[in-house]
Amino acid sequence: MVPSPTFGFFLEDIFWAGLATLGFAVLFNVPRRLLPACVLCGAAGHVVRQLLVVMFGASLEVATFAGAIVVGLLGEVFARRWHAPAIIFQVAAAIPLVPGAFAYRGMLALIRLPGAETESVSPFAEAGIFFIRTGLILAAIGGGIAIPNLLRQRRKPTRDSIH
Amino acid sequence: MNEALEGTPDKPPLTREALRDVNEIALWAGAMMMANGAETDRVEETVHRIGTGLGANWLDILVSPNAVVVTSSSGDEFRTRLRRVPVLSVNMRILDQVNTLSRQITTDKMERSAARGELLRISQLPHYNPYLVAAMVGLACAAFARLFGGSIADMAIAFVGAGVAQFVRQLLIRQHFNIFLIGVVTSLVASSIALAPVRLGLTTSHIAFLSSVLLLIPGVHLVNAAEDLLKGHLVTGFVRGMLGGLLTGCIALGMLIAMWLLQLPVI
Repeated sequence: MVPSPTFGFFLEDIFWAGLATLGFAVLFNVPRRLLPACVLCGAAGHVVRQLLVVMFGASLEVATFAGAIVVGLLGEVFARRWHAPAIIFQVAAAIPLVPGAFAYRGMLALIRLPGAETESVSPFAEAGIFFIRTGLILAAIGGGIAIPNLLRQRRKPTRDSIH
Repeated sequence: MNEALEGTPDKPPLTREALRDVNEIALWAGAMMMANGAETDRVEETVHRIGTGLGANWLDILVSPNAVVVTSSSGDEFRTRLRRVPVLSVNMRILDQVNTLSRQITTDKMERSAARGELLRISQLPHYNPYLVAAMVGLACAAFARLFGGSIADMAIAFVGAGVAQFVRQLLIRQHFNIFLIGVVTSLVASSIALAPVRLGLTTSHIAFLSSVLLLIPGVHLVNAAEDLLKGHLVTGFVRGMLGGLLTGCIALGMLIAMWLLQLPVI
């Protein structure tokens, strides 16, 4: 399933990740003027992940974390540029990073569990591995997107400043 | 903007009636943000900005998973109100517009009646055309099939499955069914369509099956859960995470029912 790392491969990746982001942005009713920025955000996050996996052999967890940080940072930049909440750009862009295939394989292993004694590799181990990796990747997405937002300097008032 | 956020003590005190209006408008805006996919910090910030922009000195905000409580203070007077947020859905256009409104209120000194009228307008904003949404969601899932290494056939099957499922989901949402039931039924529709070619022996690939249900990923809940947890809003963070987990379970349940109905062996 791993294609040779060529320029065309990454171009194609950008296109499909952008299309997936666009579809979800429309589903989430993102205003039309913000759609191009959403697509850019989603395509950038996904291609960064693919670059790290294919070119540098990074684990999907680490690569996803990097991709999510890119999504989070770009979201913050676009939020300033277009005066809109950053989450508008970030949520649709996070969707292509979701590890659908891992969750699916975990689920398939789980439903093989009742017949486990007849198999060589325990479906229990397989389900555990895939569900844990799915959980880690989801946490990487959430954490990666939230971190740039945490770094933003915000002067938070306290009630003592008034009374 | 920062002056308004910090609340200036030298603001003229509002009357009891005026403060009631301010409290109500700020709370309405906050509940609208909450109901349409904003994270807790954003809700608090918006409520505070609108309330102080309209003349209150300070607002205390409690965001719970299905209600928002706001207390506005001005001079010696204070007002408190609770507003329920029964359904957490997603509408980014509303977030964008309420955010714009809160900026306008802090910079241009808007009248209370104008702010109320603006909120009413925002609450009635239309969605994209349902057919367009179904087509775009279908395209998104076809793109996923491609990203998972699928063929053109896989992409076409995922497009049809996800598009039809999205259309069915819109019908069910309009009837106000339980959100978990909607999740299971939508997943069942998508996976039945995607598995039909496998059942008929036309293909052995399961990429369309796994791509066509991805329209149900509770992305907003999961991202907001992480953001809330990391900013210390543990209660709303846990609830959103739990909600995301349950909705993901609904996807799996719908897929399992489809496999059982079509009598396909476990792969």
